[in-house]
Amino acid sequence: MAEQPPSYGVGIGRLPSYGVGIGSRPSYGVGIGWRPEIAGFVEGLPGLRFAEVVAESVHAHGELPTGLQVLLDRGVTIIPHGVRLSLGGAEPVDPARVEHFAAVAERLRAPLISEHIAFVRAGGIEAGHLLPLPRSREAVDAVVANVRRVQAAVPVPIALEPIAALFDWPDDELTEGQFLTEILDRSGAQLLLDVANVYANARNRGTDPAELLDQLPLERIAYVHVAGGAEHQGLYHDTHTDAVPQPVLDLVGALCARHVPPALMLERDGDYPPAAALAADLDAIAKASGYPVIT
Amino acid sequence: MTTPASDSSGLAARQAALVEALTAGRPVPEGIDGFRFEAARLALLRKRAGEVARQWPMLAAAFGDRWKREFSSWAAVRPTEGSLRDGWDLARDLTRRGALPPAAAAELAQREAAWHYDSTAAPRSRRGPALRTAGGATALQVAGRVWLLRRP
Repeated sequence: MAEQPPSYGVGIGRLPSYGVGIGSRPSYGVGIGWRPEIAGFVEGLPGLRFAEVVAESVHAHGELPTGLQVLLDRGVTIIPHGVRLSLGGAEPVDPARVEHFAAVAERLRAPLISEHIAFVRAGGIEAGHLLPLPRSREAVDAVVANVRRVQAAVPVPIALEPIAALFDWPDDELTEGQFLTEILDRSGAQLLLDVANVYANARNRGTDPAELLDQLPLERIAYVHVAGGAEHQGLYHDTHTDAVPQPVLDLVGALCARHVPPALMLERDGDYPPAAALAADLDAIAKASGYPVIT
Repeated sequence: MTTPASDSSGLAARQAALVEALTAGRPVPEGIDGFRFEAARLALLRKRAGEVARQWPMLAAAFGDRWKREFSSWAAVRPTEGSLRDGWDLARDLTRRGALPPAAAAELAQREAAWHYDSTAAPRSRRGPALRTAGGATALQVAGRVWLLRRP
């Protein structure tokens, strides 16, 4: 049971006083992204201590989905994960979306929220997808300004997730490590590191994924995403609809050899397999990270 | 929409050009790898097709293996309005062309009877009773309950 963490003033580079992580516990181990389609499976995980839910899928008022309420009643920590704020958009975040996010965080008694370093709309058009930012100083400014707007409205810390992208913008001013570190430093946000995204980007760019690990402030990881993907026409797609491949699990091991994050979780977003296959993915994450199995 | 940076090199303009290329068939912004951009565009359409299939299960099922291709070709130049509205707009388009599969007709007729949707704003529950026909199916809604009166 994560206690409600103290609220804290937001300012340039100011960090929450109680340290980095999901809440008051030192570590949460292995968790999973809650989805209605696998609610029964998630509810049946005896060792589960944290899960994540897509923030936009939860009503600000009205009833929570049954499976989610059961987890909360059991003391499982639920983190709302936003996908539509468009923190990296050149325009300010939509106040109504921020307000909804804050209300969801409050009703879940969440000790932390998370969103992406990405944009999802521009010029009034929805992309329907998380899109990469040019790694420019102007983009850093835009993200930091939007993160501060969210921090001003939500009393718990935010963790930011770098995304997987199949293409890059030309004329980057910063390396990926510099770009992400500067955003985290200036916003005071924590890091939601998606190991599968790191793997996907490195594989598609022909670089070494472990190199990026060495350039990121790993001590600021709140938690870690792990997901499956597949190759199409020579490109690796971060699908969240395939099993977690061995190279991604190896990268979890490489991360934990550098710094053991307080929590790691499986993201699965469709083509749901039988329970045994989901359990195998969770057990593999536990094995790669050294945390106890939760199945 | 007003944006502070209006020159074409500013972040707002670059982002708008990218989204238009991705969703409305506009040219790929200069300097971005065309092959990779196309892979991302197709992946996005596949993802949208999956989301619409969850909202419109009978519509997707009626196309079977051809669903993703059918939806993607329709959606390629139409930015998403959310999966509920995307599926609804496609189903109405198919109806106008006489191409709505019979297996999808009841689903559309029931929703037309239950909800008011003007193709520009989010659908809302009808206040009064309604009788609607779509693709040869007829549905009646009274006080929020919907009866299917006829299948194609």
